[in-house]
Amino acid sequence: MSDTITIQIPTPLRPQAGDNATVDVTGSTVGEALGALTQQFPELGGRLFKEGGNEVNRFINFYVNDEDIRFLENLDTPLKGGDELSIVPAIAGG
Amino acid sequence: MLLPGFGEEGQQKLRESTAFIVGCGALGTVIANMLARAGVGHLIIADRDFIEVTNLQRQVLFDEGDVADGIPKAEAAKRKIARINSQVKVTAIVDDINHTNIERLITCEDGSKADIIVDGVDNFETRFVVNDVAVKHGIPYIYGGAVGTVGMTYAILPHAAPGTDDANQPSWERAGRATPCIRCIFEQAPPPGMNPTCDTAGVIGPVVSIIANYQVAETLKVLTGNLDAVNPAMVHVDLWQNHLKQFKVARAYDAGECVCCKKREFEFLDGKFGSSTTTLCGRNAVQLTQKSADGDRLDFEAIADRLRPHGTVKVNPFMLRADIHDNGEPYELTLFKDGRAIVKGTKEATTAKNIYAKYVGG
Repeated sequence: MSDTITIQIPTPLRPQAGDNATVDVTGSTVGEALGALTQQFPELGGRLFKEGGNEVNRFINFYVNDEDIRFLENLDTPLKGGDELSIVPAIAGG
Repeated sequence: MLLPGFGEEGQQKLRESTAFIVGCGALGTVIANMLARAGVGHLIIADRDFIEVTNLQRQVLFDEGDVADGIPKAEAAKRKIARINSQVKVTAIVDDINHTNIERLITCEDGSKADIIVDGVDNFETRFVVNDVAVKHGIPYIYGGAVGTVGMTYAILPHAAPGTDDANQPSWERAGRATPCIRCIFEQAPPPGMNPTCDTAGVIGPVVSIIANYQVAETLKVLTGNLDAVNPAMVHVDLWQNHLKQFKVARAYDAGECVCCKKREFEFLDGKFGSSTTTLCGRNAVQLTQKSADGDRLDFEAIADRLRPHGTVKVNPFMLRADIHDNGEPYELTLFKDGRAIVKGTKEATTAKNIYAKYVGG
């Protein structure tokens, strides 16, 4: 499918995403793609978004290809087929 | 070293440099080993923990003899490095690194500050303290983190305070190579218990070595003045997914309103955020209280799932209680919904913080 967006799911969130490392969705913005993701896997919503569901948690970053959505148009950042949306939580271990 | 941009002059710069290695576990042992072999003249190695047999799979400076001897990690690292490169001076600090002591500990005998801080830390609270001190004093700081099969690293060449005149700017600012700080990128630490830790989820040796050696490469570039070669991107690897990525983060400083490196408010170094500890008299227990920007909501079920392999776990709507054995010692860990914790089995704040970071995380 040419309008497919691939979402990279980080290890700690995979149990809430059917143990998938990637999930393919369709959507024309980051918000729509994440909406499609959390519709498929409702438990993810509470991990990605603050209470209320309109704002993403500040200890998780979202990148479209290699750009941070905070410096594009946040959840309104446009997506096109073949884009990769990475969910990147801070890694604490060491 | 017979490398372009390095040479005898570069080697001399390394010999005259001091690197502060915060945390001497998985990342820290690889970093200390390589920096000692590279000939960095002075290493300050800080760690609050002792060596356990389960550490040996990834903590390359240690062996079974160190476990049997029961010596602290920082001291064991010092002894090992003395046999690797006797010309390197090592200062071993066996203590919890926090806002009350870090500025003293990064200061050398002659009053100068360490030339670089390299991150081998296992929790974000300490990282934010380190980030604050790096920005405040203009010290390069090489972040690294690894858990499971995933790791991340990023070199911070901190911005000077807005309005600093050219003469007082660090060389990387004048060269246009300053980078956003860790709080430009991750504004908040993950809440306690949100993410797995190396002690609950495990970590494979290779990802630790790859990330730590990447940190070492960036450290050598900074110390030898090869600032043009420092990677301005955040590197992310997942060895099981065969996934290597570099995320662009440079705009985070200009576009953001970073409380730390732009507004120059050092909330963690000032003790405004982070945890505080209270020894509970007569109970052989320490209470840890978390202060964070958002009220934390602990996910007891997720934490319980991760702790069950380590001992008995009981959960009710108000608290979680787990019996944990660490380094042969029994502890009882009680967590409350607001993130408060009581670690029973010790009177030492450092031990309690260590247990919390290893089994709850944050």
